[in-house]
Amino acid sequence: MTALIEVENLTLQFRTDEGLITAVDNVSFSLNKGEVMGLVGESGSGKSVTAKALMHLNARNAVYSLESRITLHTDSGPVDVLSLKTPRDLNIVRGGAVSMIFQEPMASFAPAITIGKQMVEQLQLHGDYSKQQAKNISVEMLDRVGISDAAKRFDQYAFELSGGMRQRAMIAMALSTQPKLLIADEPTTALDVTIQAQVIDLMKDLVDEFHMGIVFITHDLGVVAQTADKVNVMYLGRMIEEGPVREVIRNPKHPYTQGLLAALPKLDDLDAVLTPVPGDIPSPLERPSGCVFHTRCSKIVGDECRQTVPENRSIDPTHSVACHIYSEVPA
Amino acid sequence: MLNFARFVLTRAVLAMITLIIVSLVVFSLMELVPGDCAERYLAFKNTQGSGISVADIENERVRLGLDRPFLERWGKWIVGAFQGEFGDSCILRVNIAQLLGDKFWISLGLCLASLMLAYAIAVPVGIIAAASHNAVLNNSLRLFSYLGLAMPNFLLALMIMLFSTVYFGDTLTGLFSAEFRDADWSWARVMDLLSNAWLPIFILGWSATAFALQTVRALMSDEIGKLYVTAAEARGVHGRKLLWNYPARHALGPIVNSLGFDLNRIFNELPIVALILTLTEAGALLIEALARSNDQQLAGAIIFLLTASIVTLNFLTDVMLAVLDPRVRKSIVR
Repeated sequence: MTALIEVENLTLQFRTDEGLITAVDNVSFSLNKGEVMGLVGESGSGKSVTAKALMHLNARNAVYSLESRITLHTDSGPVDVLSLKTPRDLNIVRGGAVSMIFQEPMASFAPAITIGKQMVEQLQLHGDYSKQQAKNISVEMLDRVGISDAAKRFDQYAFELSGGMRQRAMIAMALSTQPKLLIADEPTTALDVTIQAQVIDLMKDLVDEFHMGIVFITHDLGVVAQTADKVNVMYLGRMIEEGPVREVIRNPKHPYTQGLLAALPKLDDLDAVLTPVPGDIPSPLERPSGCVFHTRCSKIVGDECRQTVPENRSIDPTHSVACHIYSEVPA
Repeated sequence: MLNFARFVLTRAVLAMITLIIVSLVVFSLMELVPGDCAERYLAFKNTQGSGISVADIENERVRLGLDRPFLERWGKWIVGAFQGEFGDSCILRVNIAQLLGDKFWISLGLCLASLMLAYAIAVPVGIIAAASHNAVLNNSLRLFSYLGLAMPNFLLALMIMLFSTVYFGDTLTGLFSAEFRDADWSWARVMDLLSNAWLPIFILGWSATAFALQTVRALMSDEIGKLYVTAAEARGVHGRKLLWNYPARHALGPIVNSLGFDLNRIFNELPIVALILTLTEAGALLIEALARSNDQQLAGAIIFLLTASIVTLNFLTDVMLAVLDPRVRKSIVR
């Protein structure tokens, strides 16, 4: 397996009127070709910001630390994503080798431009296609993701499609340029459960077919369990637990991950009381010292939780956690 | 295409119906004014020294057709109105169409020119300002907008007149030079009108531009923050293509929508500017008819013409909106 994208020490702050706000704090991970990684966390955990950083797509007031490094391995060699400046250079991570699909398919299509026009535009930006060629590829792609009457849909607008159709069209558009990496930002959250399952199945098929890597952002561990190979749990900009998806779900180490799993409804025991993680995610303006989770943690082991940032400790070669509970385990 | 023609036709019919309802409202309001044209005329004669009896008033009423039922009179009025015929002024006793002459069209022209000036400036500048992060540009635009919104038109008009009088010895008043004032329309008269009209257009356009700038900027900032713009950027669309094809194109609909409202606002501001610049136009005539002489026939005619213009403009913006926005087009055309 070869690495597709490597993220090292990603630290990202936003310059605002209230000062610098840390959105992502020293996050590292890597993803191989054909691998699906779930990026899990509540809103405000920094998962979308992390994903956007992969396309160098964050707002103008974003400040990356000097140590931050994102390397994308393409057919023509490694690309240092954060050093890309001009639109022409950025093309490769924006719709070329990297594509993104968003949470709300309705809102992510321009309402007054046909789906076909938007698809053709992307294809022509990234490849040397004539209009007709681009149209043929688009219709083929729409057909491939299971949209009936693809030629007709090509000339329609997003508001004329159903929710599930729209997300399929979004996937078709994202994959039309045959990207190596697909970033899916809560692609099923806005959909009905039955449609969710269809879209997830479709995405699984496409990973196999196109052999690409997927970063799957969600707050839903259930969806992650179905789709991902490995999972990264984020909290307040920090990666707190990382491992193979089954391992993390069966054997969660971090109190936050345990809390997230306990908060999921269980269909086999409907009388079980849901135990939500107490409290709210703190404002990024008031980042807790020490372990960022200590303000909500029920398993505080001592003052070190409040004072020192826990290091990443390996539970086994693939599973690691950043928590003081496991301080006896060598880092 | 056939569908689109049907849509335009439907809208035209709807506009017509609106106009007829408006005419009913206007006509009813005219009727609500205490006294009628017969009384007003004979009261006027009375002040000239002739004795008036109740029978005289009744005779005059019959002569003017005021003894007929309401609906019949309205019907007659509306049929005339659509042909540009509004009867006689109650006070001045001359045909309203003649009295108004070109005044209404000149007023409308001034307003439309101001409106066009305002949007010709506000649309590109507002779009660029919303997309730009240049603090100097944004702050100077903000300053201009506040000045435009806060400074009353009449003050601006007075300042320009004062300046011009002191430095050029020209008060810049009126719409026509003396030799053209009562002349027939000719090429020279048109040129004369244009050489004088720039000032009221500029003054009316000043605040209208400030207002429109705020609207365009707010609409654009809204659109720029939307997900589809980020999504397009994530597909590699960038620069001018991103700005004009995505947020700007989608902000145009609501901008077009605000045109009808703006025309009305500008027309309301016209009389004050007209008063200061001593323009002979219909807005001032309307105020005169409404506030001073109680000339309901004249007031009704001007109000009807004004609403007809606004309804027409709204019809045009509806069609434009359908051309611009497929959601509108597809919701009605089918």
